[in-house]
Amino acid sequence: MSSESSKKRKPKVIRSDGAPAEGKRNRSDTEQAIEIEERRIQSCVHFMTLKKLNRLAHIRLKKGRDQTHEAKQKVDAYHLQLQNLLYEVMHLQKEITKCLEFKSKHEEIDLVSLEEFYKEAPPDISKAEVTMGDPHQQTLARLDWELEQRKRLAEKYRECLSNKEKILKEIEVKKEYLSSLQPRLNSIMQASLPVQEYLFMPFDQAHKQYETARHLPPPLYVLFVQATAYGQACDKTLSVAIEGSVDEAKALFKPPEDSQDDESDSDAEEEQTTKRRRPTLGVQLDDKRKEMLKRHPLSVMLDLKCKDDSVLHLTFYYLMNLNIMTVKAKVTTATELITPISAGDLLSPDSVLSCLYPGDHGKKTPNPANQYQFDKVGILTLSDYVLELGHPYLWVQKLGGLHFPKEQPQQTVIADHSLSASHMETTMKLLKTRVQSRLALHKQFASLEHGIVPVTSDCQYLFPAKVVSRLVKWVTVAHEDYMELHFTKDIVDAGLAGDTNLYYMALIERGTAKLQAAVVLNPGYSSIPPVFQLCLNWKGEKTNSNDDNIRAMEGEVNVCYKELCGPWPSHQLLTNQLQRLCVLLDVYLETESHDDSVEGPKEFPQEKMCLRLFRGPSRMKPFKYNHPQGFFSHR
Amino acid sequence: MERAVPLAVPLGQTEVFQALQRLHMTIFSQSVSPCGKFLAAGNNYGQIAIFSLASGLWVELGNSVLHFSLAHDGPVYSMVSTDRHLLSAGDGEVKAWLWAEMLKKGCKELWHRQPPYRTSLEVPEINALLLVPKENSLILAGGDCQLHTMDLETGTFTRVLRGHTDYIHCLALRERSPEVLSGGEDGAVRLWDLRTAKEVQTIEVYKHEECSRPHNGRWIGCLATDSDWMVCGGGPALTLWHLRSSTPTTVFPIRAPQKHVTFYQDLILSAGQGRCVNQWQLSGELKAQVPGSSPGLLSLSLNQQPAAPECKVLTAAGNSCRVDVFTNLGYRAFSLSF
Repeated sequence: MSSESSKKRKPKVIRSDGAPAEGKRNRSDTEQAIEIEERRIQSCVHFMTLKKLNRLAHIRLKKGRDQTHEAKQKVDAYHLQLQNLLYEVMHLQKEITKCLEFKSKHEEIDLVSLEEFYKEAPPDISKAEVTMGDPHQQTLARLDWELEQRKRLAEKYRECLSNKEKILKEIEVKKEYLSSLQPRLNSIMQASLPVQEYLFMPFDQAHKQYETARHLPPPLYVLFVQATAYGQACDKTLSVAIEGSVDEAKALFKPPEDSQDDESDSDAEEEQTTKRRRPTLGVQLDDKRKEMLKRHPLSVMLDLKCKDDSVLHLTFYYLMNLNIMTVKAKVTTATELITPISAGDLLSPDSVLSCLYPGDHGKKTPNPANQYQFDKVGILTLSDYVLELGHPYLWVQKLGGLHFPKEQPQQTVIADHSLSASHMETTMKLLKTRVQSRLALHKQFASLEHGIVPVTSDCQYLFPAKVVSRLVKWVTVAHEDYMELHFTKDIVDAGLAGDTNLYYMALIERGTAKLQAAVVLNPGYSSIPPVFQLCLNWKGEKTNSNDDNIRAMEGEVNVCYKELCGPWPSHQLLTNQLQRLCVLLDVYLETESHDDSVEGPKEFPQEKMCLRLFRGPSRMKPFKYNHPQGFFSHR
Repeated sequence: MERAVPLAVPLGQTEVFQALQRLHMTIFSQSVSPCGKFLAAGNNYGQIAIFSLASGLWVELGNSVLHFSLAHDGPVYSMVSTDRHLLSAGDGEVKAWLWAEMLKKGCKELWHRQPPYRTSLEVPEINALLLVPKENSLILAGGDCQLHTMDLETGTFTRVLRGHTDYIHCLALRERSPEVLSGGEDGAVRLWDLRTAKEVQTIEVYKHEECSRPHNGRWIGCLATDSDWMVCGGGPALTLWHLRSSTPTTVFPIRAPQKHVTFYQDLILSAGQGRCVNQWQLSGELKAQVPGSSPGLLSLSLNQQPAAPECKVLTAAGNSCRVDVFTNLGYRAFSLSF
């Protein structure tokens, strides 16, 4: 700094000195030359000092630089060390984490629990003293034990496999042996047939039946089993048989490969036929319907023999797609029956079993799911097909163990043995009573058509000895005609005249009086009484709407029918009712009060013994017959 | 004309029997309870049904029948109510029931009495019951052609009035005197004085030409009296009589024999063979003919109990199991059924 300042000062001094020097030239050039020499020596000295200073400065600079350089190098070295260390640290951390994450395979193995291990492992493996303290050793020991166990089990497995092979081979051998036995047994059975016949033990026949029974669909099978059981246990007159083709039944269950073959064949065939002729839509629909209503090829036949040697033949069919059973009935009698005109419907196969239970008319399918199936193929109702397929009565479904509950529709209805068993006895009894009552009616109708009311001797006490009114006509009447009659309105309104009933018209006459009786015969006859409605034509037309006594007569026959039932099984009810009507007409005509203003004698003189002719506010006639005194009184 | 076919219900034996019973039922008698809210009806099977008029009027039918019990062995021909009891009579005996008990099931009769009959061969029926409030006694008349008086307190039969030659159909009370009128099968209306127990007057209706109809018979089926006036009908035509002079004043032009007649306000109501309840003016003109639901009617009952003015109805019953209720005399409101 001082050198610089001296350097700066110097030029100034020189300049300032330069100007005044010019003024004093004359003084002496020697003075000037000495001054210049002095000045020159001064400037040289100054130059040397300058250089020295410069040199000093340079040396100082260099030192400074060296120091800095050293320090810098140190710092760099430390820096490098630091970085090395950090790098190492990182590396070590990575290693540590790797080590920590390391899952050795042994942890994947499910080892037995500690207590179990100590219990089961032999002491040379478990080494309790060492392993208790040291978890590493413990794990090793456990792994050892695991390995041993596995080896042992693998041994066992190999042994078992070889055993199995052996046994399979043995089975094969025995099977061959047995199959060779089968033809021998068959030949023995054949040989035993003549022995069976000789001893009247048709085991073979029963066996054959059971064989075919195996191919029956479940409901028919249930029916077959229950009916045979019932027949053996309770009712010797019942016989059960299976009809139909077993091969077709087997054909229904052919394995799928065969059907695939069939399909390919049929496809080829179809292609051919479509070239020739396309079946019409109607024919297609018809085929679909036929397919829907297809019957199982096997059917069960039940024969019920009644006391008088008449037989009721029932054939039960199973409709596969609809899952319902139907029945066809036929009645054969020991002797040939001459059917009177009015009895046409009594034993007809279509209606003989109608309404066995109240309301069971057998025209509608009992399975509610069928309705949807019908809609698909355009069938309105099953009743159109009932003639060929048979009737799907509810009791038939119950005998087959099929139950279609209305409240909870089930997915699939399975045949149930207990349902069938619980209904078997009542149904069989009802069937027998039905056949017998129909046959009795048959006979009675034959007699009625000839104008004779057949009263049996044990019912004779219900009527007086002399009955003058006679039955003149007995005919069947159609349901619509019955509904159109003017005096049957009450019965129709009360809902007692459905289309399952049979309707008849009887005409009873005495003198000029004609009594028409319209009869409703319920299919459940003799437990449900026939209902009569009367119309009397005598001095005007009298029916129950304008004459209280006609109403009373109807009441006598309709409401008080229990007295007329006769001995059980009350087949005489209808004829007794008709006879009573004749008696009532007699009483009515004879007790009619004589009109004083009209001339002439009474048409019907009173022959019946009556205590009183009129009684009560409605002036009833005495319609009740008292036996054995033989007089008429009021109820 | 197409007849509507009712729904076919599967009918078992019991259902068919019940339906037949109801078809052939005849309701002979009715009686209103003292509180005016219940109606008792008796039918030919001996059953008595109690109907609730109040619930029948305000609620549509439903369970208007409270219950019915088998009361008598034979038909219940007549019933009458006192202020606590229901008295019913049919085949030979009269039974009493407590109204309060009748509303419960399984009630038993309080007492039953049989008037002393002459013959024992056949038990005669009791066709008519009449209450005489002044004496607190009951008059019974029926098949044995006599009127019996029974004291309601003691239950003894006090008087027997004889005079009819054939059985008695109906009774009526003439309050002023007091006299009882009885009409019978023999065609005569007889008046009896209760104090002297003797027959005071006899009117042989069939002998008068204006009203006699020989082709129907001479029996008197119904009687009603209004002190000076009497209306009677049956075999002969329905006629209004002036009692003091025993002359027929008006003959009502209806052909069917009438089985029940009663005075109501200034009208005469009658019912009989034929569906309708007939309303007549005193002059003999037919004011209205209101059809009911039964083909023939046997009894009319007017509920005029002061305790239940809202149940003031006319009920009619006869040859069916239904009781028709007329709230307004002009039309049939609804029917109660057994």
